[in-house]
Amino acid sequence: MKTRRILIVAFLLVLLLSACGPAAEEPAVVEPSGVDTTALCEGDDFGCAVIAPGQTIKIGMGSPMTGGNAAFGIDAEQSGLIAVEDAGEFMGFQFELIAEDDGGTPEGGAAVANKFAADPTIVGVAGHLFSGATFAALPIYEEIGIPMLSPSATNPDLTRQGSRVFNRVPFTDEAQGAAAAEYMYNELGFRKIAFLHDGQDYGKGLAEIAAATFESLGGEVVALMGLTPGEADYSPVLSTIAADSPDALYLGGYTQEGVVLTNNMKTSGLEDVVFFGCDGTFGVDFLSRTGANGEGTYHATPRTPPETPEKDAFDAAYTTRWGQAPGELSPFTWNSYDTTTMLIKMVQEVAVMGSDGSLYIPRGALVDAVRGLANYVGISGTYTCAPVGDCNIEGPTFWIVEGGEFVAVN
Amino acid sequence: MESKTKSPPKLTRRNYSKIIRPIFGILVLGYILWRLYEVLIVQQAYSIEIWLRLLIAGLIIGGVYALIAIGYTLVYGILFMINFAHGEVMMIGTFAGYFLFEVTKGINVASAGNPPLSFSDAYPLISVILAFIVGMTVAAAAGFFLEKIAYRPLRKAPRLIPLISAIGASFFLQNAAQLLFSPQVRDYTNPAAIARGSGWTLIINDSRVVITYTGVLTFVLSILLMIGLYLMVQKTKLGKAMRAVASDKNTAALMGIDVDAIVSRTFIISGALAGAAGVMWGLHNGLVHFFVGFLPGIKAFTAAVLGGIGNIPGAMLGGMFLGLVESLGPTALGISYQLKDVIAFVIMIVILIFRPSGILGEVLSEEKV
Repeated sequence: MKTRRILIVAFLLVLLLSACGPAAEEPAVVEPSGVDTTALCEGDDFGCAVIAPGQTIKIGMGSPMTGGNAAFGIDAEQSGLIAVEDAGEFMGFQFELIAEDDGGTPEGGAAVANKFAADPTIVGVAGHLFSGATFAALPIYEEIGIPMLSPSATNPDLTRQGSRVFNRVPFTDEAQGAAAAEYMYNELGFRKIAFLHDGQDYGKGLAEIAAATFESLGGEVVALMGLTPGEADYSPVLSTIAADSPDALYLGGYTQEGVVLTNNMKTSGLEDVVFFGCDGTFGVDFLSRTGANGEGTYHATPRTPPETPEKDAFDAAYTTRWGQAPGELSPFTWNSYDTTTMLIKMVQEVAVMGSDGSLYIPRGALVDAVRGLANYVGISGTYTCAPVGDCNIEGPTFWIVEGGEFVAVN
Repeated sequence: MESKTKSPPKLTRRNYSKIIRPIFGILVLGYILWRLYEVLIVQQAYSIEIWLRLLIAGLIIGGVYALIAIGYTLVYGILFMINFAHGEVMMIGTFAGYFLFEVTKGINVASAGNPPLSFSDAYPLISVILAFIVGMTVAAAAGFFLEKIAYRPLRKAPRLIPLISAIGASFFLQNAAQLLFSPQVRDYTNPAAIARGSGWTLIINDSRVVITYTGVLTFVLSILLMIGLYLMVQKTKLGKAMRAVASDKNTAALMGIDVDAIVSRTFIISGALAGAAGVMWGLHNGLVHFFVGFLPGIKAFTAAVLGGIGNIPGAMLGGMFLGLVESLGPTALGISYQLKDVIAFVIMIVILIFRPSGILGEVLSEEKV
């Protein structure tokens, strides 16, 4: 009994000591910039986000982190956390990533956006990831001036609404779909193609644009249909398509479906048909999971060659920190790092140190700074934001799998 | 339940639906027959090898559905509750098999040839048997504890309460697996002898039809397990006790049957079957992730209802039927493949209109309900 009491007292003491620990450290003193922060904030369209000493500068992220698409959200968070670490300290303040689960749905998107809007220290949102959630979240950020920079929301309509705060780095489905159709018709000489998609905003839009372009070029669209995403066996649909003996099979969708399709094609009478994927199917994950079946398949990425020292450094950091290779969970690993870093860079550009030791971040200026991004070299590409918020207006690079590696073909 | 007052028949809403339902059923049936006629007789767009491939795919997935559906039916037969966490039990079995193959892949065995072989490549039969044993044991244990923790305390509660508990258990197991194994999609490492996609090749109309080894394994094993289960329920003492508990719990207890033990064993058996289905799923389809049990679980539940829930041959028939409809349906009806679930469910509704208790379902006595 007595020993237990002593143990409890000792435990409490340890708790007390550990609680006292951090408070003993003195915050680094940064000289105020001398800018009149009151005038700055009053002049700004949305006012300022004020970060008091001891608080962090928060970057939000809304993504599915539970349910069938959880891998996308977890991946984006893991990437974003590395970006925040790499950013380090800024004028004595730390950046912090707040990743919330929006389930990828409109309801979830609105709920997360409202939560972020209620937190005065959230200055930017590296998201949302899914187009559906983004549509619902956008008007809430628009109202209070939180800039968005999505790593993956590609639905064309998102940048057609005249939004001031929404920006994205993936190239649009229109640019990619048209380029893929032209490449298949002109360069590869395909005349009969079956177009498949996963039935979701991204994949469906992409496949429909590619099919329409291919038809206008004079090709024959033997099928344009949706799959149930996430299934483990597509051989029935492939067997049916085999009756039309197409030259190639185009997929608008992600690695998951791409891998299953590529593997199933070998046992469904489509063993000599070319699989043509998109940026959603590009990644080492595709290579390791298709093996020999993946040889001769085509994929797409943004224009810039993807191998740079910065990317290698990130890949190493990601692998050590999370114990899995980047790109394994989702194809947007690098985009998520870039969007988080870009937001941090823009915050650093517009933030002003006030005379009271707080950091003042004019929201309107930040929104404009993100939209004004030009020639930013990230690890996933080079970005310049167009006035509507599309930061990647170049067409894609196509890749073929040869000998277990991606080889650029254009 | 219906009230038993004998009021004179009035034209109530219920009477309308009594007329409307069969009319709807006949309309849909007519549409299906018309589409079948269009595609099979008029268009004749698909040749025999395509139908053969679809049939193979349907039988394989049907076998998996049937095994899982038996688990729903067994539990329903005894406790009158839907064990919605059953799909997650299958997921646990899939993971157990996955880790066994990872381990056997890692062990190197000296071989006569130059490169040392891994254990699973050198002894494919043993490692596959091991995987099934491990998968079934782990899933059976999961089923056992699931009942002990989530359902037993609620045995006397109203029937909706264990249902909610089942849904909660399903979420819990899913998220636990997500946190334990990360949400990434992993690949089953099959022994080289039964690599996915390898199999016997038939040449029909100059086109290859592959009968995969994993597919044959899945189909044959699921049939064997079903026969074994049927014999066990019909011929053994345990089976007799299970049937006694299913028909009347209280009387069975009075006859000296330990109801709790029988319920536990039922969960163990249904868990083991789900585990076997999970390993088959992994071997044939190659994917394992925390969400892998969700869709097969829902589909198998549908299959169990279709066959007549509570009826074991019904679950087998329902599973096979659902697998075949999913695979053949969109092509045979000439409807987009994206709508295959819609087709399967519409056919289910039509069957339930004409046979409300399922294909082989018994009419439950009021007392039992």
